[in-house]
Amino acid sequence: MSKGGVRSSNQAATINRSDPGSLDAFTGSSGLLFEQAMAQTRMAVCLTDPTQEDDPIVFCNQAFEKLTGYSSEEVVGRNCRFLQGARTDPDQVSRIREAIRNEEVVVVEIRNYRKDGTSFWNALHLGPIYGEDGKLKYFFGSQWDVSDVHLAKAEERNAKAMAREVSHRLKNVFAVIGAIVNITGRSMDARPVAQKINDRVIALGRSYEPTLDDAFLGTIEVGQAVRSVLEPYDPEGNRIHFMGNGVRTEPNAISAIGLTLHELATNSIKYGALSNEQGIIRVKWGHEADPHERHTLNVVWEETGGPKILEAPSPDNQGTGFKISETLLQHARGVMKREWLDDGLRVTISMPIGSKE
Amino acid sequence: MKCVLILEDEPFIAMDLRLALEDRDIDAIATTTCDEALEVLNGRSIEGAILDVNLGQGKTCEAVALELTKRNIPFILNTGDLDRSGEMLRRIEAPVVAKPTPSEIVVDCLLTHRAAA
Repeated sequence: MSKGGVRSSNQAATINRSDPGSLDAFTGSSGLLFEQAMAQTRMAVCLTDPTQEDDPIVFCNQAFEKLTGYSSEEVVGRNCRFLQGARTDPDQVSRIREAIRNEEVVVVEIRNYRKDGTSFWNALHLGPIYGEDGKLKYFFGSQWDVSDVHLAKAEERNAKAMAREVSHRLKNVFAVIGAIVNITGRSMDARPVAQKINDRVIALGRSYEPTLDDAFLGTIEVGQAVRSVLEPYDPEGNRIHFMGNGVRTEPNAISAIGLTLHELATNSIKYGALSNEQGIIRVKWGHEADPHERHTLNVVWEETGGPKILEAPSPDNQGTGFKISETLLQHARGVMKREWLDDGLRVTISMPIGSKE
Repeated sequence: MKCVLILEDEPFIAMDLRLALEDRDIDAIATTTCDEALEVLNGRSIEGAILDVNLGQGKTCEAVALELTKRNIPFILNTGDLDRSGEMLRRIEAPVVAKPTPSEIVVDCLLTHRAAA
């Protein structure tokens, strides 16, 4: 904190003085204005006199009385520490003491206590006031009740902690489901089936990862979900290119998109751009609004550089995975268009969304 | 590799890992607490380990990880909670496999890590 302070000779008002001789009263109209301002401001203000024993309060305004519940008669002559209590952080108190010793300006947030014993969060701003002779004359303290800010911060922290806890538990649940499917598949000689079930369960789990981490916002970022689902298929990070903005959507739209992207990726490993060494996939996402302000989320999947496609696979031969995806997408009023172009497969997923931010 | 130690408090995951190891002809000893795992380390010759990070009730695998490091036995961490265990994961230098990951891939990771070590 830089050294500094308010240099003025006309700092104090004439009211509530413990030692009238030591306070310079304002003169004339500026004095009246100062008194009115002090009385009317919602900012609680007090002055202490560091030249007296134990730095007592020599002045406080009405806002200070209202905030703390003490009358000025009760506080003048006492050191400010009576505002502290059981849950006041001693580190913040040391910062205040340090600032007073070094004649510095400091802002601390400290838990203080009212006369009735209730506590509040005080954004305390304090600093030295020098007289005309350049000597330290008073310490100025302004108090602002920031309890509601603290409450909001605490609620946000709580919500985040809850979301993390749920996310952690859900990941474990997905892991346990995976293990059960695997063990069952093994015991029933159906390991390839178990494998497929598991891959889908895991893809679903991944698409929900970012959902949970900021679930308290109510919507999730499409890009984060897309990345979480697809990153495992591109360990080197150079085969799948992501191009999109921060568009958000409802969490339940994500399961359909997540599973569809999983099917596209596994298919691509078998037949498409990820089946050779040089193929590339571009995944784009964004939102579009029609003239009626209805918003659509578009996800485009473009493969290039894979093996040449000679003809589109027949509808019977397109895998059960896509049938599942299509059903899920339809449920979310979405559509999927697949085109087998010369360069590779191109898939467009469109889905109405309620939120575009 | 003949014998791998598993430290995992969830029985299904432990069993799945054990089966995946047995597929590779590797014996596995599954434990659920650090004390059990340390006892196994003292009694048997272990050549690798897969450790769950959070073992419930605020307990972690750190003690076992330190012991494995001391004995120069390669191991990997398998956790669903990368955020919360972040600080500890940085202290322990071992590959981390995020849950959920298929058991075969977890085992692959251990084998690759051991080959590189």
